[in-house]
Amino acid sequence: MDAVRRYGGLTQVELAEATGLSTATVSTIVKELTGAGVVDTRPASRSGRRAQMVTLARRLGVVAAVQFGRRRLTVALGDPSREILAEQHMPLPVDHRIDTGLDRAALLVVELLERVGASLDELLTVGVALPAPVDEDTGMISVRGVMRGWDDVHVGQVLTKRLARPVMVDNDANLAALAEHQLGATRSHRDSIFVRASYGTGAGIVLGGRLHRGYAGTAGEIGHVQVDPAGPICRCGNRGCLETVVGSDALLALVRTSHGELTLHDLVQGAVDGDPGCRRVVADAGDRIGSVVANLATALNPRAVVVGGELADTGEVLLAPLRESMRRHLVPNTIAPVEVLASDLGARAEILGALALALAATDLANDGLAVAPSPSTEGDPS
Amino acid sequence: MTSTPALPALALHGIDKAFGAVQALTGVELEIHRHEVVALVGDNGAGKSTLAKVIAGVLTPDAGMIESDGVPVSIPSPVAAHALGIATVFQDLALCDNLDVVSNLYLGRELRRGRGLDEATMEETARRVLGDLNARVPSVRVPVSTLSGGQRQSVAIARTLLGEPRIVVLDEPTAALSVAQSAEVLTHIQRLRDMGHAVILISHNMTDVRAVADRVEVLRHGRNNGSFSGPGASYEEIIAAITGATKVATASGDRVSAGPRR
Repeated sequence: MDAVRRYGGLTQVELAEATGLSTATVSTIVKELTGAGVVDTRPASRSGRRAQMVTLARRLGVVAAVQFGRRRLTVALGDPSREILAEQHMPLPVDHRIDTGLDRAALLVVELLERVGASLDELLTVGVALPAPVDEDTGMISVRGVMRGWDDVHVGQVLTKRLARPVMVDNDANLAALAEHQLGATRSHRDSIFVRASYGTGAGIVLGGRLHRGYAGTAGEIGHVQVDPAGPICRCGNRGCLETVVGSDALLALVRTSHGELTLHDLVQGAVDGDPGCRRVVADAGDRIGSVVANLATALNPRAVVVGGELADTGEVLLAPLRESMRRHLVPNTIAPVEVLASDLGARAEILGALALALAATDLANDGLAVAPSPSTEGDPS
Repeated sequence: MTSTPALPALALHGIDKAFGAVQALTGVELEIHRHEVVALVGDNGAGKSTLAKVIAGVLTPDAGMIESDGVPVSIPSPVAAHALGIATVFQDLALCDNLDVVSNLYLGRELRRGRGLDEATMEETARRVLGDLNARVPSVRVPVSTLSGGQRQSVAIARTLLGEPRIVVLDEPTAALSVAQSAEVLTHIQRLRDMGHAVILISHNMTDVRAVADRVEVLRHGRNNGSFSGPGASYEEIIAAITGATKVATASGDRVSAGPRR
């Protein structure tokens, strides 16, 4: 199964190669799984010979998820049972261009469909995660400057035009919160916060079992809470935002004199490997993030805070100071103190959330877990 | 992870190369450290591939000095380059279509056991190396002709890894690949860097270059014309240097400082 998922689709002979099992065993297993409706087979040809192509079964169509990070594009296909059928990562430049990015995303969706042997007709919907607050009604980024060059483009519309499918767009931390709530660490909690500590910092809020996006999508933008009134000007235009202190640019600037030019990945790897400088930088970031999350948690009183994003790959290096800082800043609730948990879904939280968003827009999402559409804005705000 | 790497894995100083009346390289300087991706960009005929061939030992420079870990060396032949831990993937990949993946990986340096070939070990290592790269090559016993462009590139990169190289030179690895295949190759390049290799990436695609390069070195008419920090440089700055809109004074000798410049 893992092999089929990894390659998207492959022939029985290749499957035997990849798993190290005999062709007879593979043939038996494939027959059983086909009987159980888990995989599909269809005739194909490899180097002129006839072969049986094995792919994961998808009778109900597929949905696509696209995640734009600051430095990485991820595209995945999922089926209605939330199984990821195929996935592809692509490194992106700093301040990547929206035209190239959307073009590549659309092409990757089509290429992944080919990889799993599906046609574009089987694609139902697409969910997109962006590292910026997104207004739900218009699908536009609601704070200018957070993603350079992406401000005036309607991401959903452009992709809808390219793929001829409905495209839903949301913030990555929101989608990760949704995924953790539906499938991950906060499954059993009605109220939770997902903190995403990555190149930027953000949070997704689940209240009463529903994602709380806010009126124009900026709920939980903890990266733009002021922590230093005399700090540098942030991308968003304010001064001394949390992101100017714990964002990747700020963290990497701290190690530049001692470690030279690092990437965020190097920093995280250094902290995991026990480099004292890297650990200190990540730990201090955890402390700062914790103090801001504590304020959010005081306002919302969630049951748990889940921490994800690249920095969370350092595990307790980030989490322990974050937890400690929250304990110091949070109103001491004796009945049920807020739990601080590591993400269950890890690096996949955002993409699974984007799949959930896409699924919710199909008529297949009837398993009770679907995203409740947030109440539409009643009347005119003015 | 090394902090402030002391000596560059490879340093080229004042490299000159002429083909008859054509001066392909003039006083070219290049440094590459371990755990670093240096992109070599420039217009057609700027000397990128010539420089790659000098590093690979295919061409011998007319003048200049090459240092490996601070020790002056000469690279008279590809064998010498291999001995210095330099592995090169050229644009045409140089794979044998009719042979399977394992045979291609070990072409010319097959492992022997007694009188025959040690197929089992070769196959196992082939799987491991492709696994290290997270390469999507389902079977190592299919002829290379049946693989996609991206998979072939994966095989070519994996072949360089067998010799435990310190420096990997990739000449236009994403040219003529689909987006998914390019994505795969770029992920491989990041992986090579994370494994501690020094990577020289020659490419025309600015998006790809800026996605993975720590440093971008611009060549123009066989001369250095700018050095940029990969994440810090804008498309405009790099393209201006390539087209000659900006000229960067690079008197030989002022480029001893290691690491990226802003």
